[in-house]
Amino acid sequence: MRRLIVLAAIVVLIAGACTSGATPSPSASTGTAPSTAASESGAAGSPSGAAFDPASISGNATLSGWQSSDAENKALQDTVTAFAAAYPNVKVDYKVITGDYPTVMATNFASKNVPDVFYVDASFGTPWADQGFLLPLDDYIAKQGFDTSTFFPGYLAPFKGTDGKTYGLPKDGNTIGMAYNTADVPTAPATLADLVTAATALKGKNGLKAPMCLNPGLDRGLAFLYAQGGSIVSADGKTNMVDTPETKAAVQWYLDLFKNGLGMTAADMGDDWCGTSLGKKHAAITFEGGWLDPAMSSTYPDVKYAWGQMPTGTSGSPVTISYTAAYAIGADSKNKDQAWVLLQYLVGKDGMTKWTSGGVALPSRSDVPTPTGKDVLVAQAQFAKPGSGFMKGYADVQKAFQDAFTKEIQDKTYSADKVIEATKAAVDAALAS
Amino acid sequence: MAIASARDPRASTGIGLRSEALAGYAFVAIPMVLFFVLNIGSILYALFISVFQWNIRSGAGAFIGIQNYQNVFKDPIFIRAIQNSLYYAIVWVPLTMAVGLFLAVLVNQKLRGRTFFRAAFYFPAIASSAAVTVLWIFLAAPDGLFNGIRGALGLNPIFQLLGFGPNQNWMGDSHTALNSVILLNAWTTSGTFMLFYLASLQTIPGEVYEAAAIDGAGSWQMFWKITFPLLRPGHYFVATVAVIGALQLFDQVRIGGGTTGDPANALMTVVLYLYNLAFYKFDFDRAAAVGLILFVIIFTITLIQRRLFGSAPSW
Repeated sequence: MRRLIVLAAIVVLIAGACTSGATPSPSASTGTAPSTAASESGAAGSPSGAAFDPASISGNATLSGWQSSDAENKALQDTVTAFAAAYPNVKVDYKVITGDYPTVMATNFASKNVPDVFYVDASFGTPWADQGFLLPLDDYIAKQGFDTSTFFPGYLAPFKGTDGKTYGLPKDGNTIGMAYNTADVPTAPATLADLVTAATALKGKNGLKAPMCLNPGLDRGLAFLYAQGGSIVSADGKTNMVDTPETKAAVQWYLDLFKNGLGMTAADMGDDWCGTSLGKKHAAITFEGGWLDPAMSSTYPDVKYAWGQMPTGTSGSPVTISYTAAYAIGADSKNKDQAWVLLQYLVGKDGMTKWTSGGVALPSRSDVPTPTGKDVLVAQAQFAKPGSGFMKGYADVQKAFQDAFTKEIQDKTYSADKVIEATKAAVDAALAS
Repeated sequence: MAIASARDPRASTGIGLRSEALAGYAFVAIPMVLFFVLNIGSILYALFISVFQWNIRSGAGAFIGIQNYQNVFKDPIFIRAIQNSLYYAIVWVPLTMAVGLFLAVLVNQKLRGRTFFRAAFYFPAIASSAAVTVLWIFLAAPDGLFNGIRGALGLNPIFQLLGFGPNQNWMGDSHTALNSVILLNAWTTSGTFMLFYLASLQTIPGEVYEAAAIDGAGSWQMFWKITFPLLRPGHYFVATVAVIGALQLFDQVRIGGGTTGDPANALMTVVLYLYNLAFYKFDFDRAAAVGLILFVIIFTITLIQRRLFGSAPSW
């Protein structure tokens, strides 16, 4: 054993001597700027110095992402076909990444063999940018004069690195709205007080397991915190706002929904998610995004439901949370100019109109037509705040909240104190990291 | 040994022995190279990664020494992961060994159709663990088959006394989730352990039982005085394999509780924690530190087991 320890120490010392100072630190090796990229790719129409004209670029670009459904695949294929018509000189090779997306991308980043353009979920936007996996797009945006002001601000925010640069542009987005069974709830509750009144009236009726299906975490709960003036961090992302009277009151209000039998988790209803609970009529009201619609129409076509805006709370202003994913270019992309040509089309007005007309996604731009039946969810994007990716280490904060919240429900203690305590500690740790 | 050497014609020349030894080394060289590169090399590489700020794209950054190890032990979720993994090992290993041994002794009898029973008991082990876990989640759901059967059999009052309602969510409740996984894996793995014990049982000579029968020993006495002690190499092998497997629990908790070990960290194990660090937080240096800590834990426990069960097994 002693020999093993000595051997290990020698390896560590040799390794330290070999690498200290010789290898650039991760923070120093962020993505290459477009001007360098263009010289590497050798493509025509380099953005260095002059304005960037996407029509003058030719070559190939690979495109990858996860795929949720056949409908998504078809919508993207149609969009790529439309791109080929608009930019015939750039050939796109679209390859779906199957399996666990972050895991597969980790191996791609490590081997420096990344697709030129790929999906980045909002929760990975800042971490991947900070680790140097993504190319900053600011130079391309500036040199082409690409207008980013039409993106809803809540969708754009998660793809800023801590250096303030833009590392991705939102390909689409979704807001959390209130879906309710119209047979049980004739009109959408406008305020949280109305919501509680409507839920109380439904308790124990119509074979419902609970009036509302609720997630025991910030993935939906954050919208209720915001509605009541609560928050996780300050607007600049630097101050812990968990231990404020507003946040605590909002958490207690959310816990009381479970305590008073007005809400139940999907798991406790025996369902995999709240869409199933709405479809099986285990609950009459739930809070989801546009992904609910294809699930309901394919599995529970007979259940009549409608979308309502997230009820307003004591803050008085309408507010909800949004989720999005972006298109980004890999720092190790070998075709950066071609990648940008593809990216600016996919997130541009024409590309996004084509993509969202496929019925699987909602636009992240205000100048793209609203798909049929999605008025409420798209309109909410005007005031929605990011539901993820708005602070470093948010996944740990979410986990701390959800673990403590779930424990309160399962122990039937329903006290906000421990939830606040656990979440506050997680936010402190995240801010200090 | 002296007689054997005298009879061996190659023993008269040192060249013959040397070439035989060389041939032996040549045969083991390829697997040993693979072992050193893929096993020992990986461990040393993980040690190397764990003492640097590591970026998977750009490699080693600043040298940080044992900081990752210190930080890991300060994380309450890691401590919970260690507790869960140890609890799982302490409960699951004896339970599954006992069931495996029971099944092995059962199908070792001269029963009609014992081949069928052997196959039937082993069947869950050959099914995909992912598929079986998904099936188990359905069975253990609030309106799943298990709750339905106990309700139909009128057993709910007993469960009520134990604090479980009629719609208990066995995999979704933090108080019962890990025990549900223990039961699931005891069911799926006991067949494999049965097979190991069955092989070990074949090594016990029949004469011992005959002698015991002549001395008037009953079947219960024979089991405890003969079978159980003579299975010592089998116990060692099964216990070692079981503890290593238990501390590496991953797929069932990944499917049952997602990447975050839900509900409320009840299904957070050391390997799931490591996986999260590496592939969701891209914190590969800290993940490497966790991997080495797990290696040390498993290595230590295996050494202790070796001490407890005595010298190396005879097979």
